[in-house]
Amino acid sequence: MNKILEINNLSKSFDGGKTKAIDQVDFFVNQGDICAVVGESGSGKTTLIRLIAGLENPDQGNIIISGKEVSSIKKVMVPEKRNVGMVFQEYALFPHLNVLENIIYGLAKRKDKKQRAEVVLELVGLSTYKERYAHELSGGQQQRVALARALAPEPSLLILDEPFSNLDAMMRNQLRNEVFNIIKKTGVTAIFVTHDTQDALAVADEILILQNGKLVQKDEASRLYHKPQSIYVASLFGNTVQLNKGLKNAFRCPLKEDCCHAIRNENITINASDCEYVTTAQIVKRTFLGTHSQLLLKLDNGENLSVVTNEAVLGDELKIGFNSKDILAFDE
Amino acid sequence: MKNPLYILLLAVVLFSCKNDNKSNEEKTTSEEINVYTHRHYESDQALFEAFEKKSGIKVNVINASADELIQKMVLEGEQSPADVLITVDAGRLHRAKEKDLLQPISNSVIDSILPSHLKDEDNHWFALTKRARVIVYAKDRVDPLELSSYENLVDEQWENKIVVRSSSNIYNQSLMASIIANDGEEAAKMWAKGMVNNMARTPKGNDRDQVKAVAGGEADLAIVNTYYIGKMLNSEDQTELDAAEKVAVFFPNQDDRGTHINVSGIGVAKHAPNKESAVQLIEYLLSEDAQNTFASSNYEYPVNPNVENAPILQSWGSFKEDTLNLSKLGELNKKAVILFDEAGWK
Amino acid sequence: MKQAGNRNINSFLDSFFKLKRDINRWSIATLFILLLIAVPVLTISVKLFDGPGESWSHISTYLLPSYLENSLYLALLCSLLTILFGVSSAWLVTRYHFPLRKVLEWLLIIPLAIPSYIVAYAYAGFLDYGGVYSIFMEVFGVTQAKFDIMNVFGLAFVLSISLFPYVYVSSRAFFLNQAVNLLEASRLLGVSERKSFVKLILPLARPAIVAGLVLVIMEVLNDYGAAQYFGVNTFTTGIFRSWFSLEEPETAIYLSALLLILVFGLILIEKWQRRKIQYSSVKSTNTKTNKRIVLPKFQQFIISLVVIIPVVLGFFIPVLQLLIWAYKTVDKVMNQSLFWLSLQSFGIAFVTAFFTVFFALILLYFSKWNKITLVQNAAKLGVLGYAIPGAVVAIGVMIPTLFLDKWFITEGFATQFVINGTLIALVYAYVVRFLAVAYQPLESSSLKVSDSIPDSSKILGMGNFKTFIKIEFPLIRAGMLSAFILVFIDTLKELPLTLILKPYHINTLAVKAYEFASDEMVMHAAIPSLFIILTALIPVVFLNKLLLKNE
Repeated sequence: MNKILEINNLSKSFDGGKTKAIDQVDFFVNQGDICAVVGESGSGKTTLIRLIAGLENPDQGNIIISGKEVSSIKKVMVPEKRNVGMVFQEYALFPHLNVLENIIYGLAKRKDKKQRAEVVLELVGLSTYKERYAHELSGGQQQRVALARALAPEPSLLILDEPFSNLDAMMRNQLRNEVFNIIKKTGVTAIFVTHDTQDALAVADEILILQNGKLVQKDEASRLYHKPQSIYVASLFGNTVQLNKGLKNAFRCPLKEDCCHAIRNENITINASDCEYVTTAQIVKRTFLGTHSQLLLKLDNGENLSVVTNEAVLGDELKIGFNSKDILAFDE
Repeated sequence: MKNPLYILLLAVVLFSCKNDNKSNEEKTTSEEINVYTHRHYESDQALFEAFEKKSGIKVNVINASADELIQKMVLEGEQSPADVLITVDAGRLHRAKEKDLLQPISNSVIDSILPSHLKDEDNHWFALTKRARVIVYAKDRVDPLELSSYENLVDEQWENKIVVRSSSNIYNQSLMASIIANDGEEAAKMWAKGMVNNMARTPKGNDRDQVKAVAGGEADLAIVNTYYIGKMLNSEDQTELDAAEKVAVFFPNQDDRGTHINVSGIGVAKHAPNKESAVQLIEYLLSEDAQNTFASSNYEYPVNPNVENAPILQSWGSFKEDTLNLSKLGELNKKAVILFDEAGWK
Repeated sequence: MKQAGNRNINSFLDSFFKLKRDINRWSIATLFILLLIAVPVLTISVKLFDGPGESWSHISTYLLPSYLENSLYLALLCSLLTILFGVSSAWLVTRYHFPLRKVLEWLLIIPLAIPSYIVAYAYAGFLDYGGVYSIFMEVFGVTQAKFDIMNVFGLAFVLSISLFPYVYVSSRAFFLNQAVNLLEASRLLGVSERKSFVKLILPLARPAIVAGLVLVIMEVLNDYGAAQYFGVNTFTTGIFRSWFSLEEPETAIYLSALLLILVFGLILIEKWQRRKIQYSSVKSTNTKTNKRIVLPKFQQFIISLVVIIPVVLGFFIPVLQLLIWAYKTVDKVMNQSLFWLSLQSFGIAFVTAFFTVFFALILLYFSKWNKITLVQNAAKLGVLGYAIPGAVVAIGVMIPTLFLDKWFITEGFATQFVINGTLIALVYAYVVRFLAVAYQPLESSSLKVSDSIPDSSKILGMGNFKTFIKIEFPLIRAGMLSAFILVFIDTLKELPLTLILKPYHINTLAVKAYEFASDEMVMHAAIPSLFIILTALIPVVFLNKLLLKNE
């Protein structure tokens, strides 16, 4: 397959080297893929895409887009020549230009400006909003304009920075699907940055996990979920319980103690009888959370454990358990 | 919407071009003279115009304080366009001479008009007008018989009765320099301290404000230059007129060295490109015509002995001048300032 | 050992490559412009190493302590007063509807147009024997009334009343652009108007207020005429005293350099604060929903009164006094040449404002476009000229330009000075001096444009320059207009620098006013001063119209 983006040993620090925002990152993205960059705030994900877009210059390493080296220690190509599209977190529509003018903006060198603008507006379903200004549009509409604007010049790579963080939960799912349907339709290669793993799992072909500027894992969504390489990665995708010595003893689990293991909360079975590892527990406290509830348990050997369940739990005592196939193992 | 802006901009550019052209043209005509002057009086402007008419020489004027002009001439060096430097005190002319900015001029017309104590001993500069620094007193509260000299002002009878402007003023510095020259440094410092003691308020305002303060009753005595009284008595402002009429002029030290005078004067720049014109201008400014203008419209004492004082000045009577060599004022100027500071004269 | 050595060499090579990579034409242009602007400042700063003259011990014993105390005292008082007048009027004007609001909105800028020494004279005259005040008091049977304003408090009042528009302009720009939306959000959360203002808006507006305040303080430290007349000795008095009375230019320049350090410290503190308050540069929000609160008639009336106070104090009272004097001297002073003078002053101020805004924009944006942090920080040094007294700037400009001029003559390129004694030196010096005045409003309005907007433009294929023309220029236009007006007005009333550097054939209204005032003919200075105000009104009204049209 064709690599659209290739990044080798990339580093970038700020404050004269004190803060390492990106630390020796290597990866590539194949043509047509949608790639998510996931990390907490401060993990360096925004710096990474700014480096790709050419808005920052690297301290080390290089970036290759469509086979051409665009950033290295010796030279950098300016952003306007990289043929990269970008949708910013706050959309960054030009407030003094209307929707049509915003979209035509990136088409200065093309002859078929109007037609191309019509095409992308059609694509995002905003053909009737040409004359509007940014402040006359809803958040979702602004985002679609920003997307249309970025797609208009037919970039070889589309970057989206936290595309859904400004939207409320209801709109979010709907818009996520809309946006990525559009992206799929155009077949453009896309990288998007998010702190929300649900977004990543829902639409990405591949997910990159960044922690403190380092790339800790890059994999397909399902592999990442099932075979996380660290407890950090595992916990990004939902509540995870680390199996320490006490817990292993409680469940009479024969795993070696010097290796790190964890179990996802959703793989812990309540009222279990047919699990491989089972123990009894006292309910110390229950917190009602609507569709589910959180239980603070005291296991029979005195260990504490907190689990979330949507099953109805009666009485103060219960059996819980899990199976060996669900145990996550790391090298740490 | 943007059009008016562009039109304005265009107009301005045209305007500035026009000015440049103009200056280029004028610089190519030979007969001109560049005057660096600290005298910003209308009388001077009128005299320059009259000189232009009479001689056909164009007068270009740069108005600024003498110190700034001297600094400018130093920086410009040999290429300085300045032909003459005019100041309002002898001290600054002396300083310009010290800095080698002036050249000696020997000219029989000038020599025939000016007595020797009104010019530099090496003919580097010449006085244009004289002004006396006198005591004015409130007519209704002060008996002039109680007044005698500058030195007498520190007497305790005048405690809280005197107003005078700040020590940063050149006229005060020159007065102080004359006191140092006459009485010595130590006595001068004691005098300044005594003055500070007797002041009715901290020094502020200009000479006219001192007169108004005396008229308003804030103090009984003030030290001011004569021509300001003359101007106040001819003021368009009724308040100034009233104030000036409530005070009278006293010429101090008539029994000894005489009243302190200072001069405004002129010197030819060392690298003057138009020396001939410069000398012509000096001759003109010392002529009876010009001296009459100085005397009548600016109430200064003329240096040309053939010219009479303005009627107001005549009404105050004649007085004995301190004939201290005026170069002394320049030499002692810095010392005067230091003593002022030490005495706490603000 | 050897490995460590290799690593050092490698990292050195890396830095070299990166430097070579990051130097772009903008870095070079920034440095070039910065050099142009900084040469006069540097010329003066270098003198710091020569040390002061022999009078230094005299000055530091007898003068400096009290001068410094007075200056700091003045700076403090003026800060308080200008914030009081400037922020309150800016807030009321943006937030409330009241009678005469539109007129007052720009009248509040006009006090800047009267040179502060003229305001000082006007107030002294107004409150002196026989002045308007004493005539007024006679109605109450008090004769020979005089209110003594000639002291440090009076000076602080006079300076504040003529300088508060700096704070007004910068805080109004902030209020107009952001505050109202934020406030409405806060109101929706149930916080009262007053509390929202104190707890939310004021802290957010701090960078904008401080930006205006820095200009006020620099101007206060720089004032000579008013302080001199009121008999209050300030740091600048010290500079002039050591230069002129003690005949030691080196000491004067040394003192200016010290003042420079002081002001530089102030600027650093301001930057540091601004960095701490990152949230202040929130993204641009739309201003079109800005609806002013309509209060009951009586309260509207009260607000009008409150806003009129600074206008009356800073504009109407001084102008009234000037008009009285003008009436008395009109026969002697009024003639056609004044119109010609006005035209020249207008032209010079216009050209100066144009170039100053131009250079300020260059410094602001070129330094952004260059990728070297050091150059970015250095660009901020360009604004230091404002801290130096005009007369000292003039010297700073003359030393290097005369060097060039003389070189031109010896090399045969010219037969006479081509920089000095022409408009070039004058405008150059003005630009050096007023760059900060233009830089502050431009910087704060550019901060309001979120970085992602120009970034978007670049990613969409426009270079830095095209992005500036198409995106940033229209978005910061309001800031550019304020910058232009402020520099225009400042140039109109500038004095010491003009006196030293102006060409023979050019004269300005300020010079004319000064010629009268320095000869203690304050009354005669009234008419030229009024002409200054009229000339200043032209761009204010004109540009305000432009602004309103776009609103």
